[in-house]
Amino acid sequence: MNKQLQQIIHIPANPPVSPTRQPTEKVYASLIEPKHANTIIRRLNQIAPLQDLHHLKRIHKKQIQGGKPELFVILCLASENEQQSNTMPPDVEDVVNSYNLTPFVTEVCKHAALSKEEWEEQCKLWPTSYHPPTYNIHGITGFSEEDSKSVFSFMKSTVELAKSGDHLIVNAALIVDPLVGQIIASACDEVCSWHMRTSKAKTETCHFKQSEGFTSDADANRIATNKTLLSNGSSKNLQQCDTTVCCLNPWQFTRQSLDTSPCYCHPLRHAAIVAIEASAARDRHLFPGSGNSEKLYEVDSSPSGSPAKRQKITLENVKNGGEQDVNTEGSNTLTRPYLCTGYDIYLVWEPCTMCAMALVHQRIRRIFYALPNPEAGALGSVHRLQGEKSLNHHYAVFRVVLPELEFTAER
Amino acid sequence: MESDNFAYMELAIHQAKLAMESLEVPVGCVFIKDGNVIASGRNRTTETRNATRHAEMEAIDILLEKWQKDGLSKAEVAKNFSECVLYVTCEPCIMCAAALSFLGIKEVYYGCANEKFGGCGSILSLHSSCSEPSISDEVPQRKGFKCTGGLMASEAVALFRSFYEQGNPNAPKPHRAVVEKRVE
Ligand SMILES: [Zn+2]
Ligand SMILES: [Zn+2]
Repeated sequence: MNKQLQQIIHIPANPPVSPTRQPTEKVYASLIEPKHANTIIRRLNQIAPLQDLHHLKRIHKKQIQGGKPELFVILCLASENEQQSNTMPPDVEDVVNSYNLTPFVTEVCKHAALSKEEWEEQCKLWPTSYHPPTYNIHGITGFSEEDSKSVFSFMKSTVELAKSGDHLIVNAALIVDPLVGQIIASACDEVCSWHMRTSKAKTETCHFKQSEGFTSDADANRIATNKTLLSNGSSKNLQQCDTTVCCLNPWQFTRQSLDTSPCYCHPLRHAAIVAIEASAARDRHLFPGSGNSEKLYEVDSSPSGSPAKRQKITLENVKNGGEQDVNTEGSNTLTRPYLCTGYDIYLVWEPCTMCAMALVHQRIRRIFYALPNPEAGALGSVHRLQGEKSLNHHYAVFRVVLPELEFTAER
Repeated sequence: MESDNFAYMELAIHQAKLAMESLEVPVGCVFIKDGNVIASGRNRTTETRNATRHAEMEAIDILLEKWQKDGLSKAEVAKNFSECVLYVTCEPCIMCAAALSFLGIKEVYYGCANEKFGGCGSILSLHSSCSEPSISDEVPQRKGFKCTGGLMASEAVALFRSFYEQGNPNAPKPHRAVVEKRVE
């Protein structure tokens, strides 16, 4: 176990690009007389502002060997169209004519640089500005020693949940409140053991009651149960029913055309889904009675442009309505969390698309996973939900590298 | 065939209206196999405080429980899903679309598009299967399903509208939906 190899890597919202292959945009530029520079730039900023290209410097100063520096200016965006006639706005053409400029088309980088390496490459095309992130809301720019200690320790607990002997046999999930270092819920994949749990519950009750019953009573003892389940030999059961880590190969279920054993499985009970269910059960248990006061399902399907505004108004009203409930309950020192807002989840493997989206719905703040899921992962491998702009919630994603795990996973 | 589609979607809309009466965002669905309704579901995210309890997930749980009780084998359950058609009032979200593909469902009809979360074309296209057939067993093979949107979309949108315009959910609802059943 090499402590030095332990690390927490931020998985950004945008896929990393090779600094030399960043997307570019075509612009019109021109050489200008230094004495006109100020006037021209003031004029251009008015008539042709660089909208989404604020990272670009408008002026490019080129030092010619042995001569005076030359000044180049970006006039405006060039159209992608090959025929370059008349793509310049008339106002810009006026500037061109009045200062006798000779515009040419050149390439500049389309997006602001995310790293120093990217920025250095960008400046070879056309100078840009680079603002290294100075905030540290979610640990994106690094963790304090204390915070990383707690991250590694929670990740190790998660790995223990997923292990039988030396083998990682399932995915495991731990939902944690980082402020108080408390475990909110924990779970393993239950694609096989679902039956065991349902049979424990009263079979007489209706579907919904049943699921509510077993989630809430299982909640408190969940860690203990799972640990004993894995350590006292019942892991054999799990292996018998072809346990694999379900986020890694979620389509496995559809290919069981030859499996005639009774179906005690629920192909969708991936660890993250089960953990979310347990945290919801905890919420209902700790904060009963404040139920129907919030809108938890959002959808934007109105063809008119204003549903977002409308939803906000509704939420406000809804909150006012819900306050009465809180008052009648008397003083309660615990503040009820809104779903998993503010919570972290630890997963052994990068979650699949279903699980990653479930975590968006449940408003998880940060996701930590130990091992990537190259064929089905949705946090950078196949999809990158943390970068889907349209979603209403975005979590920060980190990979926690545990050297000892790399070794285990290879076996 | 065409009129059947409307009849099934009508049932899904009925489920959505039930959701709305319980102050849930109105989304509903039905699963059809061999022309019969075998399960229905409605959104229960508020009641359960579990934002993943979408109509589709509710109905899927009912089916799995039912088939398990009937003693069906894994192979039979997988085969049943491959013969199921889902009618849902709103485009399945990314989570539900992924789940439907994991189960190997045959076909999906939805009402209105889900422009923020949709997993069947709006944001991701999880219904369209991966192009290259997988060579080795190591690589999981994605499964797609046939997907048609826009079936009774205006009805589904009207439900959302009245839900969001309703304001205080404790206020009496001016137009409690009258359920019109065209099919039995
Ligand atoms: Zn998963
Ligand atoms: Zn959904």
